[in-house]
Amino acid sequence: MNDFSEIEQELKRLRLAQPSHAFLVRVGQAIADPEIGEDKIIRPNRFRRNWIALGVAAAALFLVLAQISMRHGEKQSERIAQNPAAPETRSTSANRFIPAGATQVVYNTRDEGLHFTGGSEGPMRRLRYQTHQTWQWRNRATGASLRVSYPSEEIVLIPISGQ
Amino acid sequence: MENVAIHEDWRSRFSELAPGLLLFARQWVRSRADAEDIVQEAFVRFWRRNHAITNRALLYATVRSIALDLIRRDSRRARREAEAVSESAQVVEPEFELVDEAQSALAAALDRLPHDQREVLVMKIWNELTFAEIASALGISQNTAASRYRYALAALKKIFQPQ
Repeated sequence: MNDFSEIEQELKRLRLAQPSHAFLVRVGQAIADPEIGEDKIIRPNRFRRNWIALGVAAAALFLVLAQISMRHGEKQSERIAQNPAAPETRSTSANRFIPAGATQVVYNTRDEGLHFTGGSEGPMRRLRYQTHQTWQWRNRATGASLRVSYPSEEIVLIPISGQ
Repeated sequence: MENVAIHEDWRSRFSELAPGLLLFARQWVRSRADAEDIVQEAFVRFWRRNHAITNRALLYATVRSIALDLIRRDSRRARREAEAVSESAQVVEPEFELVDEAQSALAAALDRLPHDQREVLVMKIWNELTFAEIASALGISQNTAASRYRYALAALKKIFQPQ
C-alpha cells in the first residue's frame, strides 16, 4: 500500500464542497416533519395473513348469512304451510342481502427494486401491487343487488438472501 | 450506543457527513439537486429509524439503495445512469473545491475510473470507511473492496506518475 501513499495524499488534498445552508435547513425541516410515509408497507407475513384473514372472513360471513337465510326460509315455509297469506314474512325477507361474490383483480405488479428498511440487516425487494376489489350482495327475494368496487394498492417487501 | 435520534447536535453531525454523502450520491446522478434529494431521504430515513450513527455501512447502503431506486423509477435517469456508469462515457463530475490545475486533472481522472472502483475510492478516501464497512455497504467481500481500491489507485498513479 505504501506504493500508493503519494497518490492517496493527493486525493485527500481534494477538498469536498460544503453543502449549502439551504440544504441543511431543508434536511432539518424534513427531520422535524412527523410524517412517516411508510404506513402502506405490508410485510410478506402480514400480507399473507391479511389475504387469508380476508378470505376466511368473507367465507364465514357468507356461511352465516346463508344459514340465517336458510333458517328463515324454513320458518317461512312452515308459516306458509300454516297460513298461506302471511304478508309480514315477505316484508322481512325482502330486506335481506346475501353476499354473492368477492373478487380481487391484480391488474399491475411493479418491481421497485431493492430497499433497506428499518431493522433489516439486508436489502428487501419491494413489489407494488395495484388491485381492484369488488364485493357484491344480492337480495334473492327482490332481485336487487348491491356492488361496491374500489381500487387498492399494496406493497410487499421480500427479504433478499445471498448475493 | 450513539444514536442519531437522540443526538442533540444533529446539524453538526449531518454537516460533518453531508459532503461525503453528497459526493457518494453524485456517482449516480448528474445534478447536485438530485444528489441532495437522495442524501436527504437517506439521512431522514436513517434518523427516524433510530439507527446508530456509527453504522456507516448501513447509512451508505441506504444512500446507494435510494439512488439506485431513483434512477430505476425514472427511465430518463436510468439512461443517464447507464451513461454515467459506462467507462467510455463522460461521467459525473465530483464536487471538489479545486485550487489548481493539478487538482482539476486529478478530479477529471477520478471521473474516468470504472464506476465500481470510483465508488470504493469515494467511500474510502473522502468518507473514511473501512474496507469492512465498504464491503458491507456494497455487498461485496473485503478482499474485493480492497482490490477495487488498489486498482483505482494504480490507475490514477499511472496517469499522474508515469514511469
